[in-house]
Amino acid sequence: MSAGFNWTAIRAVMVRDVRAISRSKAVVLPMLLVPFLLLVVLPFVIGMAARFRSGPDLGNFLDSIPDQLANQLEDRPNSERLVLLVNGYLLAPLFLIVPLMVSAVLAADAFAGEKERRTLESLLHLPISDRDLFVAKLLTAFVPAMAVSWGGFILFALVANTVSWPVMHRIFVPTRLWAVMILWVAPAVATLGLGVMVRVSARAATSQEANQLGGAVILPLIVLAVGQSTGLLLVDLPVAIAIGGLIWIVALWLVVRGARKFTRNVLATRL
Amino acid sequence: MPAVSPVISTDGLTRSFSTGIALDGLSFDARAGEVVALLGPNGAGKTTTVRLLNGILRPDAGRASVLGFDPETDGEEVRRRTGVLTENAGLDDRLTALENLEFTGRIRGMSAAEARRRSRELLERFMISDRADHPVQGFSTGQRKRVALARALLHDPDVLFLDEPTSGLDPAGTREVIDLIGTLAGEHGRTVVLCTHFLAEAGGLAQRVAVLHRGRLRAFGHPRALAEQLLPGLPVLVELAAAADDRLVAAVESTDGVLSAAAAPAGLRMSVVDRDVVPRVVATLVSKEIPVYAAVPEPPTLEDVYFEIQDRLAADPHWQLP
Repeated sequence: MSAGFNWTAIRAVMVRDVRAISRSKAVVLPMLLVPFLLLVVLPFVIGMAARFRSGPDLGNFLDSIPDQLANQLEDRPNSERLVLLVNGYLLAPLFLIVPLMVSAVLAADAFAGEKERRTLESLLHLPISDRDLFVAKLLTAFVPAMAVSWGGFILFALVANTVSWPVMHRIFVPTRLWAVMILWVAPAVATLGLGVMVRVSARAATSQEANQLGGAVILPLIVLAVGQSTGLLLVDLPVAIAIGGLIWIVALWLVVRGARKFTRNVLATRL
Repeated sequence: MPAVSPVISTDGLTRSFSTGIALDGLSFDARAGEVVALLGPNGAGKTTTVRLLNGILRPDAGRASVLGFDPETDGEEVRRRTGVLTENAGLDDRLTALENLEFTGRIRGMSAAEARRRSRELLERFMISDRADHPVQGFSTGQRKRVALARALLHDPDVLFLDEPTSGLDPAGTREVIDLIGTLAGEHGRTVVLCTHFLAEAGGLAQRVAVLHRGRLRAFGHPRALAEQLLPGLPVLVELAAAADDRLVAAVESTDGVLSAAAAPAGLRMSVVDRDVVPRVVATLVSKEIPVYAAVPEPPTLEDVYFEIQDRLAADPHWQLP
């Protein structure tokens, strides 16, 4: 028999966790600093560089990126090319670091952090089902991760469009690639970060250890970003959608596997 | 008198971990309003018992019943009705005392207002209301224990599990917590299971004690009944002007009802079958014109019983009180 979710209990766990995390500067500052640098400072600098200088000649660089994109940039002035290339193209996959990092850090705190703070046993003694507790912990990481990602993107769009207006004379963000990244790939990546952390947190004694173990998950994304920037990978719309789908499959597989092992009996055995 | 079904009962409860067997065939019970102490050194299986009884761990074998529910299948129902003070207070340092309690109240189905009202009430009762809005981070161990105890009682549980409630406390804090537990135990017929290796607190609070050793129950019963079985006879210290000589010891020993006698620094120490023997011994001594300053019965304490059990276990690791 499967009863409905106890949303009061789920919300209580989420409120407690988010409230506690928000008071931990060591967790919050890096979590907000990276999105700030990536989504506010970088588009600002690029926009200003495009406004006040002619910018580097990207002619040679265009030869190394996918034709589809190169064709879009070739007939643009050099200053527009820089803005379009960085803000419209390179930043899109790099942006994925935000949901990944935020969800991973929060999940490490939500799962391994309970052991580290020695609060897990008292939590297990409460009348909340294993399933509701797991869902609460997932949402504790997922909801803020998406809030930071989407909030960060809105800021990014504002900064990029405003600062680059004298160069672009139009609103150029969001592009369709950005829309796919934001609405499809970013939630998948946040879930992937969660799935990995659920797995590693079961073995890690502290959230720091979980973060180190889970750090491995960030590598494929960096490879993707580097590949993107050097034209090794063609992340146009269909590929982005496909990559998103693949990440969803892996992420959901990890989460489901994690859920199966998320039982009081297993957790209490490791206390 | 009608038989009262126990609030807690276990039958052959067994649980192993990768490190070995933690609990081996535990069978015991606790009645409504009773304080039962689980005694034993670290690793005896006390905490494992609490976790099994609350459905946090699943047994490898055996069964348990708490308030009519099987913790293995109805763990949530059990946890709804029990309160647990874990050895580590288990409070989130980043939250205030009030927030820690309110969170528990919300999980237990209270409205936000009810959780807040009840939390403040309990913090007031445990004399920590002045720190209610402070983060727990700066709290002393005693203050943490009091907040954790308030949390365990937030929903007025029928059964209260206290796992090492005085560990880490200074003597004053220990006294304070023991007094609190004594008060709580008497309330509304609440059953208390007290896990401890501090014998003094168990002796003062528990109606029955269960002595665990390496996961097995070695003795279970009222401390006095255990003492009668393990340490027959009533020890009595007879204070005289000086240590008794051999002739006097022999005279006392020959008195009807005296089991044994030996010289003590200022008199003699004897073991008698019951209190009624004491006046006879005193009369014998007085008839010999030996001044008797006092005759003080010294019934065995829980500590005496416990260490007798440990001595027997040292001699035979398989020993168990029949």
